[in-house]
Amino acid sequence: MIEEPYRWVEAIANRREYIETQLASGSPIAAVGYTGGILFLTLGRAGQKIFEIYDRIGMGAIGHPGDIERLRMAAIELASTEGFTRSAADVSLRRLAHYSLSPALKGAFEQIYGAPYLARMLFAEVGATPAEDLFFRVDYDGAIATNGATFAQARQDFAVLSGTRQSAELMEAFLKAEHKAGAGLETALGSALDAWSVGHMALQRDGAKELPNRATVSKHRQEQLAGMGIEAALLERASGTAIRYRALSDEEARALISK
Amino acid sequence: MESFPLGQGFAGAGEDFPALLRRKGLFGQATVIDPAARITPSNQQTWTPTEATTILAFKFSGGVLVAGDRRATSGNTVVYDRADKVLEIDRHSIMAIAGVPATAWEMARVLEHSFQYFRRTQLQEMSVDGKVRALSKLLRDNFGLALQGLGMVVPIFATYDSGVKPEGRLYFYDAMGAQFEVAEYAATGSGSPAVRGILYYENHWGAQPLQKRSEEEAITVALRALDTAAESDTATSGVDRIGKIYPLIKIVSGAGIKTLPEERIAAVFEKTVA
Repeated sequence: MIEEPYRWVEAIANRREYIETQLASGSPIAAVGYTGGILFLTLGRAGQKIFEIYDRIGMGAIGHPGDIERLRMAAIELASTEGFTRSAADVSLRRLAHYSLSPALKGAFEQIYGAPYLARMLFAEVGATPAEDLFFRVDYDGAIATNGATFAQARQDFAVLSGTRQSAELMEAFLKAEHKAGAGLETALGSALDAWSVGHMALQRDGAKELPNRATVSKHRQEQLAGMGIEAALLERASGTAIRYRALSDEEARALISK
Repeated sequence: MESFPLGQGFAGAGEDFPALLRRKGLFGQATVIDPAARITPSNQQTWTPTEATTILAFKFSGGVLVAGDRRATSGNTVVYDRADKVLEIDRHSIMAIAGVPATAWEMARVLEHSFQYFRRTQLQEMSVDGKVRALSKLLRDNFGLALQGLGMVVPIFATYDSGVKPEGRLYFYDAMGAQFEVAEYAATGSGSPAVRGILYYENHWGAQPLQKRSEEEAITVALRALDTAAESDTATSGVDRIGKIYPLIKIVSGAGIKTLPEERIAAVFEKTVA
């Protein structure tokens, strides 16, 4: 079958469609910069989705738990051995994403007789200054989206992950309009919750192209907060220790919500 | 960084961090001791303990105090007078070392990464027993080299157990990796016989048992003990009165690790020791 180029392209397209369908129900994750670092946030009922990778690197992921686990282990293994043999300062998210994860994901995706990874990941690395904060979204096919530092787009201090492209785009549009650089933690948490609500609504109403109005977002947010737990983590710029990652409990996160 | 293997089997629980490093060729293989090779009188003499230093630790009212002098020696030469032998492994654990610095610092580095690797991969903090065992395993893996006279390490491990019964825990080890939990105090290194005598005396016949002493009283005991060890042991510097170099003292408690600033130690020294 794969001797014919057309069949190969068709097989890849089918596989893409299959994976997109599998990922479509994934609850959104937002990573938002604030003055003291980066906040990861999602809402859920079960299953951890935000993880510590290394001192300054966090990861959020949606997809098949088995695949998320394999990718998470690989990322931790690579970062830990690098940090051990050289130093923590030599562990780089840029290289982890571009050099290690992306080629392996692309390889698995395009070898059509093997199983692809059913996972979509969002990484963030806190830098010494807000300008050095990095966000990377790494997709099941190895595609990488960053928060900027390219000629094509302005630098953003946020990144999102969602089950569908449409949902992610609406979340990005929302954060682009609402999230201001230099926001405090409470403000950033509010924006992240709203962005999550926007993404979550888009997953429920297939085909939504416009941002919902503020009142609808607030209402949805209230409803969902009543039934789901907040999962959040911080990458703190100056925490006094080498380890900057800190998980926020549901109570801690709820205490930060400004009314 | 290298790329990760595509065909991965079951990952996770089975492998600890030293095993991961060995798989990647980044850490020396565990030395295998040949049971057939008996120690003959001639090579017995080549095994000379080299743990030239003094480390002590004891429990007091504010947690566990760990102190070490600052001298590093090679044979009868002093090579360094500001050595740091009391090392922080994580937020609640300290490893204090007597022995060959190169091996000890490498062990501390492996241990530090092991605890973090475990927390990150298993999504929970390693238990105190797990941490104690991890150090024991490193010592046993190193024992072949220690027998050859290279890289003997005899550490003390102090940590805070925030489990069912929250309290400071203190262990000392032998070079083969056996761990001994102590209720009150531990000392290791060439100056330890003198220190052990002082701690025993203070604990039994002093004004109060060590566990009841205040921070200042605990610092006093530690400084006096190290100074006494230095009186007869050339490998221990105690307090360098001319160079104003003081021992390194750290305290482990539920709040984490506190490194006492030099001014605080100097003040106590002037008041109660000098």
